[in-house]
Amino acid sequence: MKSRAVVVKSCVTASRRMALICAMLSVLVPATATSAFAGDPISLWYQRGATPDQQRILQKDLVDPFNAANPGSPLTLDVRAGGSGDKQIRMAVLAGRGPDLVMTPGPSYALPLIESGHLLPLDAYIQKYHLDQRILAPALKAGIYKGHIYVLPRTFETMVLYYNKTLFEKNGWQPPKTLADLNKLAAAMQAKGITPFSVGNGDWRDANEWHVTVVLNHFAGPDNVYKALKGELPWTAPVFQQAIGLLNDWYQKGWFGKDYFSLTSDQQALRLAKGEAGMAPNGTFSFDFMTKAFAQTGQELGVVALPSLRDGVPYPTYEIGIGSTLSINKSSSNPDAAAAFLNYLYSDAFYDKISKDWPGDWNLPLTSVDATKLEKNVSPLFANTVTSFSKGVRDGNYGYTTWTYWPPATEDYLIRGIEQVWLGKITVNQYLQTMQDTFAKELKDGKVPPLPPR
Amino acid sequence: MWFLFPALLINLLIILIPALLTVAMAFVSWDGTSDPVFAGFDNFRAMFADPVFSSALLNNVKWTALFLTVPIIMGLVAASLLLMVRKGRTFFQIVYFLPAIIATVVIARVWQGMIYNPDGGLIGWLHIFGFHLDDPLAHPSTALLAVASVDLWHWWGFMAVIFFAAFRQVDRAQIEAARLDGAGYFQLMRYILLPAIRPTIVLMMIMTVIWSFLAFDFVYVLTQGGPAFSSEVLSTLSYRYAFYNFTMGPAAAVALVISLFGLVATIFYVRVQQQELES
Repeated sequence: MKSRAVVVKSCVTASRRMALICAMLSVLVPATATSAFAGDPISLWYQRGATPDQQRILQKDLVDPFNAANPGSPLTLDVRAGGSGDKQIRMAVLAGRGPDLVMTPGPSYALPLIESGHLLPLDAYIQKYHLDQRILAPALKAGIYKGHIYVLPRTFETMVLYYNKTLFEKNGWQPPKTLADLNKLAAAMQAKGITPFSVGNGDWRDANEWHVTVVLNHFAGPDNVYKALKGELPWTAPVFQQAIGLLNDWYQKGWFGKDYFSLTSDQQALRLAKGEAGMAPNGTFSFDFMTKAFAQTGQELGVVALPSLRDGVPYPTYEIGIGSTLSINKSSSNPDAAAAFLNYLYSDAFYDKISKDWPGDWNLPLTSVDATKLEKNVSPLFANTVTSFSKGVRDGNYGYTTWTYWPPATEDYLIRGIEQVWLGKITVNQYLQTMQDTFAKELKDGKVPPLPPR
Repeated sequence: MWFLFPALLINLLIILIPALLTVAMAFVSWDGTSDPVFAGFDNFRAMFADPVFSSALLNNVKWTALFLTVPIIMGLVAASLLLMVRKGRTFFQIVYFLPAIIATVVIARVWQGMIYNPDGGLIGWLHIFGFHLDDPLAHPSTALLAVASVDLWHWWGFMAVIFFAAFRQVDRAQIEAARLDGAGYFQLMRYILLPAIRPTIVLMMIMTVIWSFLAFDFVYVLTQGGPAFSSEVLSTLSYRYAFYNFTMGPAAAVALVISLFGLVATIFYVRVQQQELES
């Protein structure tokens, strides 16, 4: 943007009317435009969709504070529909255009953009802003490709077990830590006509992969999942057969209820909050849904780590989910401003605001996350959940979510094929064989996201 | 002849070039970002080997059979009744046509959340009175029919309006003469009205075949082809190959199969037109 002096000078030779107009216009030019990143404005296409309330939160907590500190390079936020936003971003970036800040649903989505040279390596900016000291290492390392970091994790999520604490206390039940505990609890619930798990995919078909993630990590175990993702163990191995067999067992025994294919996220949360269901394996990203539902019924929400489903799998284990990443577009005309935005995003100042207004989905993997600090803004329950997760990851008790670490076609089949198992169209072995065949091809084609060593 | 050039140019840029690129894409291995590699007939082999392809094709055939009958019969009956009504004709036309102008996503979400849903929809409300119906979208045996029913509701009014416009072109003298000869409703339809609008019916049937193989939006919003691929159709399969699996080759191969059916229907229509012109 030109300075005031330049605008006035260019109008000196114009007519008197034009001079008057120019003088009026010059008042609109900021007296100073001294931001270090003064240049073109920057843009972010928010690809997860957002309700009007959520859009107001984004404007208040994310955009306005950054723009106030960086008036020379303001951020424009464009909220895209959740189901298609990522495809629009991909097409635009591949065409050499698109937003300055590239948001994707995870490292496996960003990988083709990295390989085709459309994203900037962020190493210099990470060093400049000390982001490596501010972001948890396992989460940061998910963005490494051929020795450079290209993506930063925006959401840091895991699977947890939500449960109706009021219902549990009324019946003298304890949250399960082992498969035996879980079996006993589910039997007791079904005897009382309570559905063990309040789950469904009515509004998000991909919810199927949450349950596959749970059994793979908490039954087969993170070490085996790691080996399989490196191609060292086939997906048809007995431990995975047993894991998927267990998931199928849960479905056949009615643990998922009879409306799995119809229930939406808020309906699942409400059934749990009413005590019609006892537990819900779901992501930390659903914390917002759960707290709202429990606020309606007045019952108490509980959250614990998922149980260990096999001896030898540590408890607690938290599978790392990076459901959303941020990168800088190589065709950005103002990458320095984009990096400055990332610096703000990964700050305690922003986290304080967003964790109060939108807990769950905006859980950034910051090293500074601390229960005491968090409790000032959020419920103790959320604070404890998040800090337990962070501690578990720091201690090495972590696994791998399918939406972060699986290649695209394998993940797609994993989501849709499990329905065929549940509905008796194919066997567990056939499901895993197809998964293995698809994965082997994608591994050969270099589509599996890089895995940092355990 | 020169006045044809603007339309030809548009066709060239928007239809012919992308169509040729799709044909080319069906013979390469390409993820949309790296360089395409020639793959011969591998994509077609992979497509035919995928069991989901054959069930999707069968679903499109079922969809076509449904849409060639139900909305056309409903449209013809409604149009013929509109012909006989004087007062309220405009009102009924508007009512019949309204679903056709509402956005498909809105219609799909309304049916999904307010009619089919077992908690918040009409089906859930009926549970209160002891009618325990299941969500038809949630069962492989009924999912396709449930999705098609939503599209039928959306579509049949359009047919009624088209057929009504065609009926209004029929020579009134023929209708009056038939009535004077004592023809009833069915005889009027069989001997006067239907033969008179035969070209319109044939055109609508051919367009229905083409549109049935293009069916996408209601399936995508309501079920995304599930549960267990039971409502998958060729266009959603192509979409999944392209934008979920990032395999453009098989996606283009499926698109060519869809186009083939459209081409067959178009050739049939052109032949029928030629025969009518000659006669």
